[in-house]
Amino acid sequence: MKQTLPLIIVFAFGFFVIIAFFIPLGAFQSASQTFETWYTGVLAFFVFIGIFNIVKVNANKIQRRLSDWQYSIILLLFLILMMGAGFIGGPEGGLFNYLFEHMQIPLGATMFSLLAFFVASAAFRAFRARTPEATLLLIAAVIVMIGRVPIGYYIWRGFPGVVEWIMNVPNTAAKRGILFGADLGLISMALRVLLGIERSYMGRGGE
Amino acid sequence: MNILDRISSIDRRIIFLLVALAVIIPLLIPLGLPVDVSKPVRDVYDMVDSLPERAIVVVSCDYDPGSEAELTPATVAILEHCFRKNLRVYLMGLWPPGPELGNLALEAVAPKYERVYGVDYINIGYRPGGPVMLVSLGRDVADLVRADYAGVPIDSFPLGRAVKSARDIDLVVTLSAGDPGVLHWIIYFSARYGTRIAAATTAIMAPQQYPYLSSGQLVGLLGGLKGAAEYETLVETTGRATAGMDSQSIVHLLLVIFIIMGNIILLYEKRRR
Repeated sequence: MKQTLPLIIVFAFGFFVIIAFFIPLGAFQSASQTFETWYTGVLAFFVFIGIFNIVKVNANKIQRRLSDWQYSIILLLFLILMMGAGFIGGPEGGLFNYLFEHMQIPLGATMFSLLAFFVASAAFRAFRARTPEATLLLIAAVIVMIGRVPIGYYIWRGFPGVVEWIMNVPNTAAKRGILFGADLGLISMALRVLLGIERSYMGRGGE
Repeated sequence: MNILDRISSIDRRIIFLLVALAVIIPLLIPLGLPVDVSKPVRDVYDMVDSLPERAIVVVSCDYDPGSEAELTPATVAILEHCFRKNLRVYLMGLWPPGPELGNLALEAVAPKYERVYGVDYINIGYRPGGPVMLVSLGRDVADLVRADYAGVPIDSFPLGRAVKSARDIDLVVTLSAGDPGVLHWIIYFSARYGTRIAAATTAIMAPQQYPYLSSGQLVGLLGGLKGAAEYETLVETTGRATAGMDSQSIVHLLLVIFIIMGNIILLYEKRRR
């Protein structure tokens, strides 16, 4: 029963939503809409599971003094602070907005901007023309890097046109091939899940 | 030890310092490099420009603070154009911090054009559920959206009452930094309800969108900060994107120099062996 019931639910709801997609009758659409609303409702529970998990993992880290446990204290403190500010003042609350604008935005932007430094270091040490394929990739990358910024246009007015051609022809052709392959794989995987052949999503109970 | 040996064993902190200087110096001393406008950006501009007055544009801020530097300038430029054209903006987000970031952009642009909240623009906040939510949203907005981002009932606003389903939406502009984002809007909203989709993405995501551009599933694309700078050029404003173009140009040039130097060292090492 532990395995059969989830399989029946997945099979019935999964195939119903697929069938409803192709049948525009009111009853089908209404039932499908109800299931979609349930889904967004179920999603709300994931937030609680996520918070529970993050508290459990970090509290355990602090308790056992594992490496970098001090960061876990900061994480939990700010989790409580941000949640408290949101619950008390709402999304327009002064403290919530202050924390968002003056801490979360600059910290997030800082983390992302660090990539520029690592990319520069990698460009120097790793981006090398060791094979003909790597040489081709390297030439295309250099043209796109220069042609996508104003200095490329300043050096030669034809650079942006060459970049657009690379994007529209070789890039699109390769991307389409990858997409077709990935989507066929996705369809077969979805069918495997709906038909109960693939059960890894049930965890150890599905083995 | 000759010069190539010295360069090959260069301390990476020197590379970091050069990158920092390449970013900072052009910000302090702008070069004023010309910004060319590419076809995908012009297509977005033309689409927004062709909409009739009071048309409804959904602006979906599907990004977080990590991509704020790249996508907020695009959000501001799009809002600038929409408000100038007297279009109504229905702002939302598929990522939790997205609508908050969108709100900052709205607060910067709406007062300039004396636009009124609830009449000319509205923020319905974060909408969880990704693809399933988009299918549901297109079919019946009222079933899904009961309040705006601050919890005020959506029916109390004229714009809130005006949007009942995908049929009432003239254009969706998604500012996307990943999943859920532009791909979900194309597959689950545009394909099903026929609504036109335009996108602004991070530079790293831009090449992935070209198959959808060539198939016509995307009306246009603003790729990264450069795309935002191109849009700023079209709407004749000088924002953060245009200001950042000189820095980005010099950093890209520096990266190309690094790549060339790295490959000269590779050739040198091969010959020496």
